Amino acid sequence: MIEEVIVSGRSNPEIDPFLHVWGWEIPFYLFIGGLVAGILFFSALFTIRGKEEEFPTAVKLAPMMTPILLGLGLFSLLLDLSHKLYFWQLYTNIRWESPMSWGAWTLMIIYPLTIIWSAIWLKDVFPKWDWKFQWIDEGLEIIRHYKKALAWSLMILSIILGMYTGILLSAFNARPFWNTAILGPLFLTSGLSAGAALIMLMSKASKEKRLFARIDLMLIGTELFLIIHLFMGFLAGTNVHIEAAKLFLGGEFTISFWIFVVFGGLIFPAILEILELQKVKIPHYISAMLVLFGSLALRFIVVDAGQASRWLY
Amino acid sequence: MKTKYMNPYLAGVLLGLVLLSAFYFSGRGLGASGAVKSVVVTAVETVASDHASNSEYYSKYTGEGKNPLNSWLVYEILGVIVGGFLSGALAGRLKLKVEHSPKITSNKRLMLAGIGGILFGFGSQLGRGCTSGSALTGMAVLSLAGFVTMMAIFGTAFALAYFFRKNWI
Repeated sequence: MIEEVIVSGRSNPEIDPFLHVWGWEIPFYLFIGGLVAGILFFSALFTIRGKEEEFPTAVKLAPMMTPILLGLGLFSLLLDLSHKLYFWQLYTNIRWESPMSWGAWTLMIIYPLTIIWSAIWLKDVFPKWDWKFQWIDEGLEIIRHYKKALAWSLMILSIILGMYTGILLSAFNARPFWNTAILGPLFLTSGLSAGAALIMLMSKASKEKRLFARIDLMLIGTELFLIIHLFMGFLAGTNVHIEAAKLFLGGEFTISFWIFVVFGGLIFPAILEILELQKVKIPHYISAMLVLFGSLALRFIVVDAGQASRWLY
Repeated sequence: MKTKYMNPYLAGVLLGLVLLSAFYFSGRGLGASGAVKSVVVTAVETVASDHASNSEYYSKYTGEGKNPLNSWLVYEILGVIVGGFLSGALAGRLKLKVEHSPKITSNKRLMLAGIGGILFGFGSQLGRGCTSGSALTGMAVLSLAGFVTMMAIFGTAFALAYFFRKNWI
């Protein structure tokens, strides 16, 4: 008697014809992760360059949001887990080849650092703040002496955090649309751009706003370059990759991607920022909000499109 | 205060060129009320989908796999908002305000505009199109209905302007 048993993950529910196991939680977290990485990067960068007083929003105020934002992001990740009580098992080993492991450990280190980083600036932002306990004040005073070292580690960790949100997807080689090395740099750039936009949104000093508008413009340019190369890479690839690109070139994600991400989230805010830098009077929060919205939309569309792209047709 | 507006004759010619390029690039003419209609149909379908599928008017645009918001006119109007915003910014007119004659209050202006808008919405659905979709685009393709719509809209406005002119001058 010959028995043949075909074992394939494809016969599991919610795998074919489209994967639909990831709802809003993952793209929301990826957006938050990128945004936090962007804020921390600029805060660390301008601390290292000794410009705390010149750019107070970027260095001191914006990072205050990061523990709250990261908390929200991690909570949404937890919501996505089927076995919520076993999340700690990620911390029972280190796997260099797994982006999930990289992310879990980076978050483990970066989260307490965001709290410490916010705490050392708290008295600068709120002068009347009282820590109640002498030892907290003393402890923070000691940490302040090492703030440049802390800034360096935050800058490096923020790049890893921003990059890993993209690598996490590109490591899925079963989903052709995610399986491209460009997603890492693309998500990092988009996260930095979102961070710059949030700083612009919160800043009251026109010098700071103008600097971040210029930084954001450069990042938008880089993002457009990466998006073009993303599609060039797909179109020069195998048939499944060409099919994956077609989802965006006439397929179901064409309008949402090109109109809401590329035009509404990159090109139009870039035009507004150029006009603002030319001293045309435009409320600066409009371009900042558009960039943030575009960055959020990019995560949602990439996560959805990746689940819709597949190997077998 | 002098506001920067374009010469209306020049703007008219440019609008004609916009219409021409719309035909060239998308194969469709311009429209405005159609986008509002899509939004209304979507709203009705969301809150009362039974009513939308039973109504002869709404059911034309709804149903399995049909999304009324996924239409050329909706994206065109999004573009109009972006273009209007940029043009306002370039002319230095980007300010939140109600434009009205000094003789009437902002509230009166908003109320009259609301009533006028409702009447125009009704009219555009009875006439199967508004100034853009029916008159402008219709005349561009030499449709008789386009000319009739244009004459009816502007003729009525001209005839009735006498009674409402106090709200403006």
